[in-house]
Amino acid sequence: MALKLWASSAANALKLSCRASATAAPFPASSISRCFSSVIDGFKYSNSHEWVKHEGNVATIGITDHAQGHLGEVVFVELPASGTSVTKGSGFGAVESVKATSDVNSPVSGEVIEVNSKLTEKPGLINTSTYEDGWMIKVKPSDPSELKSLMDSKEYSKFCEEEDAH
Amino acid sequence: MNLQRTTLKAYKFGIVNYLNALKLQERLSGERKAGDIQDTILSLQHPPTYTLGKRRTDHNLLVTESELQAMGAELHYTERGGDITFHGPRQAIIYPIISLRAIGFGARKYVEGLESIMIEVASLYGVNAHPGKAGETGVWVGDRKIGAIGVRISSGITSHGLAFNIDPDLNYFKHIVPCGIRDKGVTSLRREAQMQLPADEVIHDQLIRSFAKTFHFKDIQWSQGGLISLADEIK
Repeated sequence: MALKLWASSAANALKLSCRASATAAPFPASSISRCFSSVIDGFKYSNSHEWVKHEGNVATIGITDHAQGHLGEVVFVELPASGTSVTKGSGFGAVESVKATSDVNSPVSGEVIEVNSKLTEKPGLINTSTYEDGWMIKVKPSDPSELKSLMDSKEYSKFCEEEDAH
Repeated sequence: MNLQRTTLKAYKFGIVNYLNALKLQERLSGERKAGDIQDTILSLQHPPTYTLGKRRTDHNLLVTESELQAMGAELHYTERGGDITFHGPRQAIIYPIISLRAIGFGARKYVEGLESIMIEVASLYGVNAHPGKAGETGVWVGDRKIGAIGVRISSGITSHGLAFNIDPDLNYFKHIVPCGIRDKGVTSLRREAQMQLPADEVIHDQLIRSFAKTFHFKDIQWSQGGLISLADEIK
């Protein structure tokens, strides 16, 4: 327990969150080395594990490192068409991994102005380049104040820790 | 560690048409998401039915739809993960409608749990089953598939689930590339077990009990399926 507390405060200093679960089934060696989920300072986060990068009039959205780790290898991504409206907290698409499709929710409301077509050929970008090439949609926010109610990187890291402590 | 200490509500049905079961799951998922009902699990079998997942991999269907109908089978497109599969009598279908957020599980851990319950029940009959390699979710005996998984997770609530071959007519699998995997076969508990099997209901119950244990439920509240007005779903 003490080790976990130390690791947790070290992780906080490094802006990481611990994803390891006490009841984890045996993991292959590659995921043991990925014990901590990463976050990006400056991004905002929803409690359904999506991230938002807000620059000017554009909100770029994807799912977080914590989410992709819990999903497993993504084999298929379903995205909306450009021009579609999205609503904060509602689904806009889905990802498939390990024979499970998981809905992805939009952290903000607005209009989809671009979707990441690379994900059709390379859905695994969500796993390997979670915060960069693995982006899913770009939205023109209809109400930028919605971003205020999202978590920052520190709050989100803590949120993940608490969720994983189940 | 905070173990979930709630009751699992289990509904037992006989043979249920695929679309009726789907409508029921959609209703229950909505109610579970709203917090109006507790975690629920459905236990049933389907009449001969082929289903496809969200990726719509119908290139793995080796006959035409009219040929399917001629053999008395239905075909349905769904939102679950996974490839094409067959459901039919003597195959145990288990559909858990539970909140993964409440137990902090992601898709991978949930699916591993579903695999482990089929492995555990197979072992009760002396059958040594194992999970598939990466990318081959499901439960195998050697290189023969005995159990399949296809799940949907929406707002953290699960639907669809697992299909465990007790003794279905395996010939139906010849008309598809099961789960999109070409060079592996399918099998059943009947084929693999050296001992006599009990009634299907016993095996269904064992799957539910294993589920309740694996996902840390306090206990199970059993009900016959008719009580949730399945008749409402038949329009």
